[in-house]
Amino acid sequence: MQQTSSFTSRFIRMKKDQFEHGWTLAKRNKTCYLFLAPYAILFFIFFILPIGTSIYYSFTYYNILEPARFIGLQNYINLVLQDEVFLTAIKNTFIIAVITGPVGYILSFLFAWFINELPKWLRAVAVVIFYAPSIAGAAFTVFSIIFRGDAYGWFNSLLLEFGLIEAPRLWLTDPNYMMTILIIVILWMSMGTGFLSFVAGFQGIDKSMYEAGYVDGVRNRWQELYHITLPSMKPMLLFGAVMSITSAFNVCDVPRALCGYPSTDYAARTVVTHLFDYGFSRFEMGYASAIATLLFLVMILCKKAISSLLGRVGT
Amino acid sequence: MSENNIVKSNGTLITIDGKKTRGRLEAGETGAAFYKKGSAEPLLQWHYTRLHRMDNIRRGGTSSQITVILKDDSRYIFDLDQGLKVYSQMDKNWADKPVVRKTRGDELHRLAELRGEKIQVKKHLITRRHPNRSIAGDIGIYLMLLLVGIAMIFPLVFLVGSALKPLDELFRFPPPVWPQHPTLDNFSDLFVTMGQSWVPFSRYLVNTVFITLIGTFGHLVIASMAAFVLAKYEFPGGRTFFAIVTTCLMFSGYVTGIPNYLIMSRLGMIDTYWALVLPAFAAPIGLFLMKQFMEGLPTALIEAATIDGASQFRIFWSIVMPNVKPAWLTMIIFSVQSLWNTSASTVIYSEARKTLVYALQQIQAGGIARTGQVAAANVIIVAVPILIFILSQSRILETMASSGIKD
Repeated sequence: MQQTSSFTSRFIRMKKDQFEHGWTLAKRNKTCYLFLAPYAILFFIFFILPIGTSIYYSFTYYNILEPARFIGLQNYINLVLQDEVFLTAIKNTFIIAVITGPVGYILSFLFAWFINELPKWLRAVAVVIFYAPSIAGAAFTVFSIIFRGDAYGWFNSLLLEFGLIEAPRLWLTDPNYMMTILIIVILWMSMGTGFLSFVAGFQGIDKSMYEAGYVDGVRNRWQELYHITLPSMKPMLLFGAVMSITSAFNVCDVPRALCGYPSTDYAARTVVTHLFDYGFSRFEMGYASAIATLLFLVMILCKKAISSLLGRVGT
Repeated sequence: MSENNIVKSNGTLITIDGKKTRGRLEAGETGAAFYKKGSAEPLLQWHYTRLHRMDNIRRGGTSSQITVILKDDSRYIFDLDQGLKVYSQMDKNWADKPVVRKTRGDELHRLAELRGEKIQVKKHLITRRHPNRSIAGDIGIYLMLLLVGIAMIFPLVFLVGSALKPLDELFRFPPPVWPQHPTLDNFSDLFVTMGQSWVPFSRYLVNTVFITLIGTFGHLVIASMAAFVLAKYEFPGGRTFFAIVTTCLMFSGYVTGIPNYLIMSRLGMIDTYWALVLPAFAAPIGLFLMKQFMEGLPTALIEAATIDGASQFRIFWSIVMPNVKPAWLTMIIFSVQSLWNTSASTVIYSEARKTLVYALQQIQAGGIARTGQVAAANVIIVAVPILIFILSQSRILETMASSGIKD
């Protein structure tokens, strides 16, 4: 008994010491908090508070005009059991995320790697070519000309000329083709910030490691990639993964601009367009918040999974 | 004389007393040396101070403070960023070790020599630029890069082509990728259409420029201040805060759109510029990149200034900020890109406060007859971020080199 109490008291004392140490450290660095404050306040308002807000409103019925009414888990139940469009949206988002997320990520990495082998001036040109689509903002709308449904659409005319199709196809309004086109467009735009981070990461790897690797018996580029390059790129890989998750789940502009909003049979609906529909068209904020909350959760889980996966690379 | 010694950060040019000499800069473990073209004897040697590692000189950017030993054995601390400006003279007894270029391979050879063995190495292979590359693989990679590169650039070329097409070529079968008779008609038509709009076109442009400028400037100042203390000081809560910011890198864009709207309407910011500008101030990506980059700055710089009695703000403003210019530029570019491309359709209602992208989306809604004008409008919008990127690529990549997330 005495033993336990001495343990507890020691534990309490330890905690107290820790706290006091932290407090003196905090007092000594008062100005640090002043420096941090402007950013921290804005960050709290626009990034932390929204997460809390959406969790709170997800348990309510809220249409902005009337005060929020608590309805428990009803929003979530409706989402899963009643909202067929949401299921389509989940299915589409899942397909897009599973295909464009990992594929875009791997392609970003591979092309950054290939580009790294180029001579310097060519490398600069290649980086611009691969990176440009992702910063070109609304440039993807050019795909609405390329894949236009009539014979003046470039892709249709190409296929017609080669006799592969008899009549022009409605690439952007036929539910059978929409997803494929979307995935192509999203992949085209996927060489973003993560790609840039990879390019920079490759340039920063110590060249003598490769020489040492050669002496140690690394014989081809793939072995070199796995044993030397990947382990030294881990931090960039995680950063790239975070960026991929963001873009894979944030698909909204592309389907809205290319396939219409709403699209035929909701075939190009994604979770984020669904969220937009309920939030900004129907003003069912509670319901929209439930969708947003689910998205937050899935994204955090994805990041956790990827960082534990990357922990095993190269070992 | 040393004021005139300038090594360009790519390490190929050195100026001694106004005379330019070509050669190469080699980085080793203890320092770097400049070899005159065709000479094996180093012309100049630099030792890194204790805090600097060899990657600093390769990056050629910040944390590039190095000690230079001239032939007359005088030592100086230089800062590559300042074009090798003299900071202070060093104690003569310090850093006497010669500059040695050492790789792990060299080390293995040395150990083998001690054991009395000799490692057999195919000499020509090790001196090749890429020791582990097969020619077939190289060709395959070049070919693939070429093909995918064409596929990547095709839509943008098509866009520019469409913007330059006269009306009859826009609806010709088969549609040409590049116009036979390029014309700027679409651009002039665009301005005519814009001139007829309810709010003058210049208003949209001014709005976007205004939002972009203010948002970027505020972001730069506020996020740099936070990044500075997070990178260079140890205080309770700092690490946790940064971990949260790193997680929130994911929550940009539409996912937070709805709750942000609710919060902004509560704060009365809907339909004001604040709704666009304030969230941009707090963009996590800028803080993240700046903090990672500032971590590469030598702590000694800050410690020395603290001992000299400089206030924290002074250290931030006149020592740290001038040394992180590449990161500034990167922050500016990411911020400009996102603000320039914002359509803000959900938080701005007044026509007079709408952005350029929104206005162009309206033209797009005009349908097929406006295909050419839409393309012209898109070219205008797209050109800005791409041009900025082309002009500042090397600086951005320098910043991105420290972008990794350490778990």
